[in-house]
Order: sequence, then C-alpha cells, then structure tokens
Amino acid sequence: MLKRTDGIVLKSTVFGEADLIVTYLTSDYGLLKAFAKSPRKIRSRFGSSLEPLTYSRISMLGKEESNLPRLTQSDIIRPFYSLREDFKCLLNISEILELNLNFLPERESHPEIFRLLLNMLTKLEFNCSNRLYYLYFKIRFLEITGYSPRLDACGRCGDTVEHGRPAKRKNGGPPAHHNFYVSHGSIICQKCIAEGDEPIRLSTSALRFYRSLLKWNPAAIDRIIPPESLLSEIEGIINSHIRYVLGPPRSSYGAVRKDTARIAL
Amino acid sequence: MTQGIIENLITQFTKLPGIGRKTAQRLAFFVLAMPPEEAKGIARAIIDVKDKGRFCSVCFNITDTDPCGICSDQSRDRSAICVVEEPSNIVAVEKTRSFRGTYHVLLGALSPVDGVTPDRLKITELIRRVQSDNVREIILATNPNTKGEITARYITEVLKPLNVKITRIAYGLPIGSDIEFADEVTLTKSIEGRREM
Repeated sequence: MLKRTDGIVLKSTVFGEADLIVTYLTSDYGLLKAFAKSPRKIRSRFGSSLEPLTYSRISMLGKEESNLPRLTQSDIIRPFYSLREDFKCLLNISEILELNLNFLPERESHPEIFRLLLNMLTKLEFNCSNRLYYLYFKIRFLEITGYSPRLDACGRCGDTVEHGRPAKRKNGGPPAHHNFYVSHGSIICQKCIAEGDEPIRLSTSALRFYRSLLKWNPAAIDRIIPPESLLSEIEGIINSHIRYVLGPPRSSYGAVRKDTARIAL
Repeated sequence: MTQGIIENLITQFTKLPGIGRKTAQRLAFFVLAMPPEEAKGIARAIIDVKDKGRFCSVCFNITDTDPCGICSDQSRDRSAICVVEEPSNIVAVEKTRSFRGTYHVLLGALSPVDGVTPDRLKITELIRRVQSDNVREIILATNPNTKGEITARYITEVLKPLNVKITRIAYGLPIGSDIEFADEVTLTKSIEGRREM
C-alpha cells in the first residue's frame, strides 16, 4: 500500500552497506521509521532529502501493518540546512529531536506536535540563538504529551499554589519562592515538605511566566524578551524534569555541551 | 536443503554486507569446489586481518605494521594531512592518486543525537600531530552530510588557534549526473562553490 505524507527527519541510522533507516515525525502517522535503499551512494535519487531536520513530502510502500515501510520518494519542501551548519544550533536542536524520539510512541498521530516542531524550526532558521524558542517548545511539548511538571498545586496535598501574587519580601529578606522536587515532578508546599531530596527554588515571577508561556500563541513569542535570570530559572526546572523522566543516558550529550562551551563557538 | 558444515558456511556468508541467502549459497558451493589451498588462503587472509590488523599509532589507519605504510613512506608530503572519518575513506582518496600527503582517521563523526562526543573521536591526537609536526595544511574530507559537516566545523574551531591552513573538500554535483535531478541543497552548494573559468 502506498502512503504519502509530510515529514521532518529526526534521525537516520546506517543500515547495511549503503542503506539508511530514517526516523520521521510525520503529520499523519506521528513518529515513523522508513527504510531507504542506497541513499549513501553518490547518485542516489534521495540526494540530501534524508538529512536531519529536512521537511519533505514522502511516499512509502509497505503492508498496512509493516514495521518498516520502504521509502520510494522524498521531495524536499524546506531543507532547513542553515540550522545543520551551525554546530551550537544543531546541539540545541538535538535536544529537541531527542525529546521527540524518546517521548513519542511510534505510529501515533500527533499533528499538534508536528506543527509545533515545524513552527519552531521555521523560527529558528531566522534566529537560532533565541533560548526562549527552545524553552517554549519544551514546555508546550511536555504539556501536549502529558509529561508536564506539576507547578499549579502541591504534589502531595493538592493545595493550589498562589502564583498570581507578586513576590513578597519579609523584612527585606529573599523573595517568596516555591520548592520544586524533581523526584516528585512537582512543587511541594511547606506543609508537606519532602525529606532527603534537594529542592530547586522557583520564584513566584518565574512561575507566573511559566503559566503565561503555556497560554501564549507561538506567534507572540517573538515579541517577548524576558530577563535572562527568569529564563535560566525555568530552563533549570524543565531540563532537570526531562532528565529525570528520560533517565541517565543523556550524560554523553552533556559532554558535547561542555566541550562546545570550552571552545566558545 | 543443505545441512551441517555447508549450512554453517552459508549462514556465515550471509553476515557479510550485500550478501543474501542465495548469494551465500552460491559462494559456499564455489568454496566447496575450490582447490583446498585456495580456500585455505581465503580463510588464512580473514584470520590474519583479524589477528594482525591494528590501528596505526600515528594516523589510526588499519595496518599490520606500526606506523602504517603511508606514514612511514618518506616520499609523502608530511605537511599536508587529509582528515577522514573511516579507514575505508583512505582507500577511496588513494584511488584518485591526486593526494600525496598523509592521513588522519577520526574513527567516526560527531553525532549529538547518538551521543558521539569529541572525546570518542581521534581529535586530540590530531591536535597533537599538528602541534608537534610541521603541518602546513589540514584537508577536512569528512562526509558531506550533517554529521561530517559538524565534525569539520568542530575541528576547524579547535585548530584555529594553531595557525594552520584548514581546507574543506568541495561540494557539488557528481560527474555524469544531470542538473535537473539534483536536489536544491546540493545545487545551492555547487552554485555557492562555483569557480571562475
């Protein structure tokens, strides 16, 4: 049976001598793996259309329930090759690709995530150093897939967290904050405070900003310039949460980041 | 239906790239019909390559002597190093007979999604070579795909402070192909890399 859909290449794995197994995020079938015959040969008809991040119109041939349909055609709609040429940018995007590869089940349609990824790549093509784009993607992705950290109420007693109020200062002391526990994936209130686990502090303003990000339209993101400290605070929580949910094998990825920072690309 | 030793030989042949069951069967029966010395010669060559094959301590090419034939060849230009991903790439470049310098094999390419980090490649060894030998030019001949490209860019950044000339092999259309069948990225790159005639 011939299937046609639009897809973004997330990853390709070498198979045999010159073949590839390409993992796509498609608009109709969600995460999908396809077998491509001889794309590594110089005169392959696939050309550069199987490179990561390429958005293309693909045709596949295979039985209805075939695990690995054969890719018969791939026409580039948008190559996004400028994103692949910037090492630092590709590193940041790799994190996004990893999220898709690890959180999404195969062959389950996620048109909302497909649109989110496509929108983000389009925005990043013009400015790939905007940290807010990456953060926005992660927060929205976790929300759509149901892996969001719980930041609206205490993870134990369920009491609603008061995030609407401005940060209070008591006698000139530090601003009021909430304690986020990675192992609980949630904020825990003072009453139910967990023992043994080191919490991450989350300021009231960061919490408010996080809530706003969930509501804002992606088109509005360009117009927002939040303070770096606010971004770092939410990034810290979201990245720790993702690392906790995904498990340890991401340490090698951290090494690339460290090395990149060292040579200050 | 074949059984026993013949079946075992067929199964072993199918482990080779590009060999299906039918070809494996043909090869197995061909080996069976061969003079014993020739068949043993093939077996011995496979055993030798596994027993004696190792990486050259200078360029990390696969060799049975250390340093390898290319690194110990005095007629080679030691001031130019061609950086490749795999030892098989050296064979391809050597076939062109257009390069008389030496090589450096990285034994892979950077891939953040697969967790292939710079410390898993022979990049530190390349930096050491550039620092200790009188190297004039580094030719980056990694594959023209995403992994090869970011590896080339990473090496460029790492080697920049060492004041060595760094060049990248050209992108473009394969000879004998047709422009109308080229994809837009390849064609864009070949237009960007055009040269005056």
